[in-house]
Amino acid sequence: MSFSRRDFLLRSAGFVTVSAMEPKWSAAGTRGIEADEADAAASGRTLVILELMGGNDGLNTVIPYADSKYGQLRSRIGIPTNTVLPLDANLGLHPKMTGLKALWDAHRVAVVENVGYPNSSLSHFASRDIWHTADPSLVEHRGWLGRWADATLAGNGNPLSCTAISSSLPRTLLADNVQVPSFLTLATYSYQTDGAATGDRNNQVNTFLKQSSQEYELPTPQDTVGQLGEDAIASSNVLQTVGSGYVAAGTYPANSLGSALLLIAQIVNANVGARILYATYGGFDNHAAEDQAHDPLVQNVSDSIKAFFDDLDGHGKSHDVLLMTWSEFGRRVQDNASNGTDHGTSAPHFVVGDAVNAGIYGKPPNLSALDSNGNLLVENDFRSYYGTILADWLKADSAAILGAGWPNLGFLNKQYA
Amino acid sequence: MTSIPWNREAAAHLLRRAGFGGTPSEIDALSARGLEGAVSLLVDYDTVDTAAYDAALAAKTYNLATTRGIQQWFLDRMANSPRPLEEKMTYFWNLHWTSGISKVKGVTLMLNQNKTARQAAVGRFDDLVVKMSQDPAMLVWLDNWLNRAAQPNENYAREVMELFTLGIGNYSQSDVTALARALTGWTVQNYTKADNYNGATFVNNPAVHDNGSKTLLGQVGNWNGADAINILLSRTDARGSVSGRFIGGKLWRFFVYDDPPDFIVDQLAAVWVSSGRVVREVLRAIFTSPEFYEPHARKTWVRTPVEYSVASVRMLEGTSDFSSPAASLAGMSQSLFDPEDAKGWDWGLSWMNTGTVFNRSTFTNSLASNRGSTGTRFDPNRVLAGRDASTAEKAVDIVADRLNLADAPPSTRQAWIDYMNTNDAGQRVAWTNTAANIDKKVRGLVHLMLTSPYFQFA
Repeated sequence: MSFSRRDFLLRSAGFVTVSAMEPKWSAAGTRGIEADEADAAASGRTLVILELMGGNDGLNTVIPYADSKYGQLRSRIGIPTNTVLPLDANLGLHPKMTGLKALWDAHRVAVVENVGYPNSSLSHFASRDIWHTADPSLVEHRGWLGRWADATLAGNGNPLSCTAISSSLPRTLLADNVQVPSFLTLATYSYQTDGAATGDRNNQVNTFLKQSSQEYELPTPQDTVGQLGEDAIASSNVLQTVGSGYVAAGTYPANSLGSALLLIAQIVNANVGARILYATYGGFDNHAAEDQAHDPLVQNVSDSIKAFFDDLDGHGKSHDVLLMTWSEFGRRVQDNASNGTDHGTSAPHFVVGDAVNAGIYGKPPNLSALDSNGNLLVENDFRSYYGTILADWLKADSAAILGAGWPNLGFLNKQYA
Repeated sequence: MTSIPWNREAAAHLLRRAGFGGTPSEIDALSARGLEGAVSLLVDYDTVDTAAYDAALAAKTYNLATTRGIQQWFLDRMANSPRPLEEKMTYFWNLHWTSGISKVKGVTLMLNQNKTARQAAVGRFDDLVVKMSQDPAMLVWLDNWLNRAAQPNENYAREVMELFTLGIGNYSQSDVTALARALTGWTVQNYTKADNYNGATFVNNPAVHDNGSKTLLGQVGNWNGADAINILLSRTDARGSVSGRFIGGKLWRFFVYDDPPDFIVDQLAAVWVSSGRVVREVLRAIFTSPEFYEPHARKTWVRTPVEYSVASVRMLEGTSDFSSPAASLAGMSQSLFDPEDAKGWDWGLSWMNTGTVFNRSTFTNSLASNRGSTGTRFDPNRVLAGRDASTAEKAVDIVADRLNLADAPPSTRQAWIDYMNTNDAGQRVAWTNTAANIDKKVRGLVHLMLTSPYFQFA
């Protein structure tokens, strides 16, 4: 690997010992830990995962506007078909998704239609676990990318290989042997000290490091926890400064998703060896009044992704970044009497970046062939969706992680380098 | 039998494990009782009067209609109940019989499950299994309420054997099917959104029970739920009681250390059988065994976030409405009453990552630096009261003893002493116990100690 845990600690040590408060880590200063050129191209790549929590209504995101059944089944909250942003003769984006449409027009978006898993659970709880673990039998405790991380990153010593902008660790990234910092805001990812004794802060931080870094002849559990303390301070010191002097080259919406993707762009630009960056955005469980709730949600998703890629473009960083979305399920085809939609099954998802073979993967959702609950049938198994990204973006053995037999969907350029 | 060196450190160890950590006076009092008396005080807790605490708890008016409220209520009990082992065992069963509000939805159901577990915590295990199998939260959590003769649902049947009584490998898929059929009819009524799913009660509905013959663990009959549970718990193999090894081994791993040797597990299983599967007697055997007091049994249990929060408040004799601890648990990866999945939380070092290190620190910083008159706080003068804290060394030793950290390595003790002797400019200035120094440095020292690697272990 390009750098070890010891290297990481040494490189962050300059400002740990001098002052834990003063950000001294500038963009220029980080170049020292850029991946070695000898690394394989894939090892410099970053995957950004955007989880849409609550079950996004795919039919009001990528709209089958040419299907007359859409208007019939969505008589209350259907998107007027003359307002959609057409992707082809059958499908169009929600009219608020102009940002994503611009990326589509630039051939940087793949839309993967009808993604789901067999025998869909309509429970948020079960369905999220299934998507996180990629195991419909719910036997696997680790996340699908946690398994990738265990196989690929374990022992590389970099506490920032994977980071989640999330209030708790997303199970997708639950690994046995890789630490994943997770936090909603950077303010909480630090060693906080007595606010009434700010002059004593350096003493406290330095003592925390000393008590965390005892040397032992034999490893003890306390030593393991102490190492985490050191890693925490070192990674926090890096992260706390990634926004210092940062000028975004995109216009992020002023909401939690915009903030999360800005932070992710800053981490990408800090060249800290981030491989997986994860953001969650909630509010999609629109059982009622979806006509009011869903528009701003999809607009924020679209605007945030557009701002993110504008920002990466402006910093010359988009080449090595791929973004994918997921959500635990789509929603019922027929809208309900509360102007909302109930839990559904499959849905479209987006893959964005220069490595995509732009286009639509899958057929338009078939509104005439529904299951006994009135839900869509699954066309593309989510393990094919994951597997394509594992194989062609992360250059991983997807069969080892997901099991064999999931067809590659072809939405990524295998020759991309 | 190896003699057990009973002393103050042993009593402190017992209180950390059988409870949530002791104060110096509690440790002294327990130490004075001798081993058997100390263990009996903890294990035979029915003799400890709780009237005063019950009244104090009721007066706190936690909002038991909310998840936060029942978190506060349970945390308060763990920190303040005069029966520490009753709460520790209720917590153990909370981890064992995992259920979660995310699926159960009814807060009252989660609270009632907790009360049911407490009431049956150390009695006959058979009673606990029946009560949990008929508990509305559990019936919803693992879907047995949907388990009908015409549409069997195997979820609970599988987990009751795999997770709750026998362990994987001690049953087959055909046993799962048979057990599911035996458990048909144990369901809930009045589980409705109208009252936020709080009104569900257990009902045995014979109309949906499968009255056919079932073969469960080799025994053939028209078993009902109670029959089936008896068959599970009575299961023996060449080595002895399967449930005795499973529960005895798990109790050992929770209270003592991982990977107990076979002879210990077999001893516990023998107690299980001879006592008629009474949990209290297994606990007594654990806490009076020489192995419990061996050096490698001490300071090896990673405090769970709940234990970390409770021990911080309790060992400092702090005051708390448990709002901050309850709110902080999610960041430490243990949303009480809301586990990630049916297996519940793993134990051990999986609690610790860089994010949870910080979130533990954030909680204890708020505790250590709270100078107000509400919320979660402690009094640094009370920690030093009656002791000579005139030098940094003495102050460090007093606080280290308070937090059971006197065994930290000398280099760590020295780091704490150096901290006390360093002023804001980073210069060495000998610490003196002025009011201003106590207010700044003892608070800072407490936060450092609570965030040290050593305090993460009980």
